[in-house]
Amino acid sequence: MSREEFLTEMQDVLQTEEELSFATVLKDLEEWDSLSVMATMAFLDKTFGVRTTMSDYRDMKTIEDIAQKAGL
Amino acid sequence: MAVSTFRNVKIAGVKTSLPEHTIDIDEELEFFGGSPKKLARAKKMMGYGRRYVADENTTVTDLAVDAARKLMAEMKIAVESIELLIFVNQKPDYPEPSDACIAHGELGLRTSCSALHINQGCTGYIQGLWTAHAMISSGVARNCLLLAGDLCARTTDQRNRKVAPVFGDSASATFLQYTEDPRKATFVMGTDGTGWDKIIHPVGGMRIPCDPRTTALVVKDTAGNPWTHGQGMMKGEDVFNFSINIAPALIRQTLTEAGWENDAVDLFAIHQANRQIVENIIDRAGIPQEKSPSDVFLKYANHSTNSVVTVLCDQPKDVPLKNVLFCTFGVGLAWGGAAVDVSGMYQGGFTTYIPPKDKMTRDQQLERWIKQFKGE
Repeated sequence: MSREEFLTEMQDVLQTEEELSFATVLKDLEEWDSLSVMATMAFLDKTFGVRTTMSDYRDMKTIEDIAQKAGL
Repeated sequence: MAVSTFRNVKIAGVKTSLPEHTIDIDEELEFFGGSPKKLARAKKMMGYGRRYVADENTTVTDLAVDAARKLMAEMKIAVESIELLIFVNQKPDYPEPSDACIAHGELGLRTSCSALHINQGCTGYIQGLWTAHAMISSGVARNCLLLAGDLCARTTDQRNRKVAPVFGDSASATFLQYTEDPRKATFVMGTDGTGWDKIIHPVGGMRIPCDPRTTALVVKDTAGNPWTHGQGMMKGEDVFNFSINIAPALIRQTLTEAGWENDAVDLFAIHQANRQIVENIIDRAGIPQEKSPSDVFLKYANHSTNSVVTVLCDQPKDVPLKNVLFCTFGVGLAWGGAAVDVSGMYQGGFTTYIPPKDKMTRDQQLERWIKQFKGE
């Protein structure tokens, strides 16, 4: 998966209509809630085989941080 | 995880009783700030749909006895033939006596039929099924009635959005029999009691009884969800992590212990915690989606003790099932997996509990005990 495709996928994972960029600040997204964290966990696990826990997301600030975790 | 195997036990029939009243998530736009978009998002991500909520005069025993009466009538089971009654729930009618005794009396079972109550939630049905198998295969009883249910929706303030959209109420009756057929049932059970506080109903027992102080409490979280003494609570993050870690391993181990491949299984009945958790478990366990329903949550919500039974009762009546794998996990923290052959099982599906017209209200109930105490 390319980094561009990752952004499109994340839009669907978070179920947000906001245009996402790697610089998008997670806490500025209205949809960045516990549902989104659970959905992101499932997405990383299923697509990249990366297991995360909710506490991993506390230190994440931007979409870039999630991409890094996914290994992109 | 502890593994046990039993033979010569038949799960002969099952039926679930639902309360009349339902709430559809589409009726609750007010809780999503009036935004259809937010509601649609929650529906898609969590799988919220319809939930069944018992009225204030309906208890888990009412629902379970209703399911049992109808199941026994449909299967033509004589009341006198029942030698053991097991009732699993966590929201009993009274602190004492046990609901198993109340149901025993309501159903008119023989005095030689023992009545055993098990206090357990999400894994309760499997704990009950496990106990019934142990009792029958060891010769304690030939015919056993297993009742299971909970009232998580009735006990929750619907404005408490942390938990309210998740839960529904129901109870079931399962009839188990000794059989000459040496069919095998495999159970994998586990408990992590250090997690006892992750899902809890903290007030109303002997640790913190109901008193004027606890009944007056109204606590709100940052989102404005109200918590009062009659409600349970859970640490969502910990429960999510626990669920998606333990459940896939439980499914794999139960399959291995039973000697089954995915292909051998007709139905994976997974505890319907919420759709997202169920779908995560399906992915992680590597089991086929088409045999692992996650939409039962959408149709009925999470029924705690009775959740996996709602999955079973939701299956079409005209397609006979053979191998069923149950996966349950939750409050305790506890988990239980079962691999059972349900060949020949009577699929009673769902029924609706209609309260009798002369059913006592709470005020009338209270009046009864006051009179009893006074000796009137």
